[in-house]
Amino acid sequence: MKAMILAAGKGTRVRPITNEMPKPMIPILRKPVMESIVELLRTHGVEDIVVNTSHLAPVIENYFRDGHQLGVHLAYSYEGYMTEEGLEGKALGSAGGMKRIQAFSGFFDETFIVLCGDAWIDLDLSEALRQHREMGGVATIILQEVPHAEVHKYGVVKLDDRQRIVQFQEKPKPEEAVSNLINTGIYLFEPEIFDYIPAGVEYDIGSQLFPALVAAGEEFFGIKMDFQWVDIGSVPDVWAATRKALQGGIHGFPMPGKEVRPGVWTGINVSVNWERVKIAPPVYIGSSTRIEAGSKITGPCMIGANCLIESGAEIRECLISDYTRIGGMATLDHKLIFGGDCISPDGDVLNVSDTQIRWLVDDRRRLLNPRDIHDMMLFSNMHSFYSELLPETETA
Amino acid sequence: MKLSTHVQGEFTVATIGEARMDAAIAPELKHQISQLLTDGSTRIVLDLSQVTFMDSSSLGTLVSLLKMVGNRGDLIIVGAKGIVADLFKLTRMERVFRMADSVEAALGAVAA
Repeated sequence: MKAMILAAGKGTRVRPITNEMPKPMIPILRKPVMESIVELLRTHGVEDIVVNTSHLAPVIENYFRDGHQLGVHLAYSYEGYMTEEGLEGKALGSAGGMKRIQAFSGFFDETFIVLCGDAWIDLDLSEALRQHREMGGVATIILQEVPHAEVHKYGVVKLDDRQRIVQFQEKPKPEEAVSNLINTGIYLFEPEIFDYIPAGVEYDIGSQLFPALVAAGEEFFGIKMDFQWVDIGSVPDVWAATRKALQGGIHGFPMPGKEVRPGVWTGINVSVNWERVKIAPPVYIGSSTRIEAGSKITGPCMIGANCLIESGAEIRECLISDYTRIGGMATLDHKLIFGGDCISPDGDVLNVSDTQIRWLVDDRRRLLNPRDIHDMMLFSNMHSFYSELLPETETA
Repeated sequence: MKLSTHVQGEFTVATIGEARMDAAIAPELKHQISQLLTDGSTRIVLDLSQVTFMDSSSLGTLVSLLKMVGNRGDLIIVGAKGIVADLFKLTRMERVFRMADSVEAALGAVAA
């Protein structure tokens, strides 16, 4: 079996993270989601994988290169142009991307799987392939059952008693949904599918190709599979996925680093004064990170590599990316720190540069300037002034 | 800078009518609030409910105003939300300032 990973999306719901990192590269505990997908494909014997890229393509291509390090063969189908300003993506849609590859080389010469690069899954691909062959259709959609109240987030399908797909609904209201079986964006196809995809135009699998199959009376099927599907389609999703992984809620998810004490994992070359740092698990601390004495970290919390958590800092349920310095006066509660932004799980974004709080939260490699030091002194004085006053006012 | 004030009981409620509190308005804010103090209004409720962005310099200005008020009166912050509330929390200034959700809540809390 061959495979195609869809990685050309812009990831608008995951901004600002996707301003510099395409969605398939968003990590769950340090590992890009797409890397887990490549590993899953390899586990099931899929070695030849084409990835369509567009938005921030070089980030994906430079990370995965030719796939050798993961034991697979990877190729890229770039959708866009080089202009005077640099690369300009022009995505062709999921089916359009497939067609472009096929038109180029005829790569898909046997049954193949197409899946999104932005969800962590542990689907039994071999079993899905077996069922797809048993059905004998030109296409098979992997379905999942969700609670009725959640159908509005997904594409819903209706099957007949032979598991043929007879109807599609895009994000229906719960009361109007024809079933609670949803399209997971994982598809098995036979090469004959290309008869239904026009060349050279934007074309989508879910909203165009499948309705075209229904209209043409082509038989294709849905199979309900039981597997873990951790979507990272939005900022709250990234947050929830990381927490879940830290709490052991994603069965079979390999924790990075070493468990140095119960519920606390670290990379190597970390500098932590364990006796004088308050840590409530589960917590992951990346390599080459320093946690100074007198700081407090409450899990679930992920601190990236090369970070500096200064004495006095309080961090509760946060996801902190590499090379972040958290000043000793900072209280971070339910925040994602990424690329100079302090992001709330509900999507509020506080940019540390715009708000001029680089004296408090910043890239560890940046040196403080006089303005930063002025602000830091001002706030620090205020804190020491009031911490002396507070005990009196409390007893008064 | 848009700042409207009205007296409510013992308090002067000052409402900031700007969406952005940044370095462009910080000096004017400091001037106007310190003028209130000079004029004898030492119990101030500062309503930030229309503010959607605040930077460190504006927060720093509020800090210096709080110092100015000192033991002479009050400077209560109300209506901070979204990233404005985040900024107070991040810098721990929510522990330094007296804060309330609304003017009514602030005045009610003081009366109680």
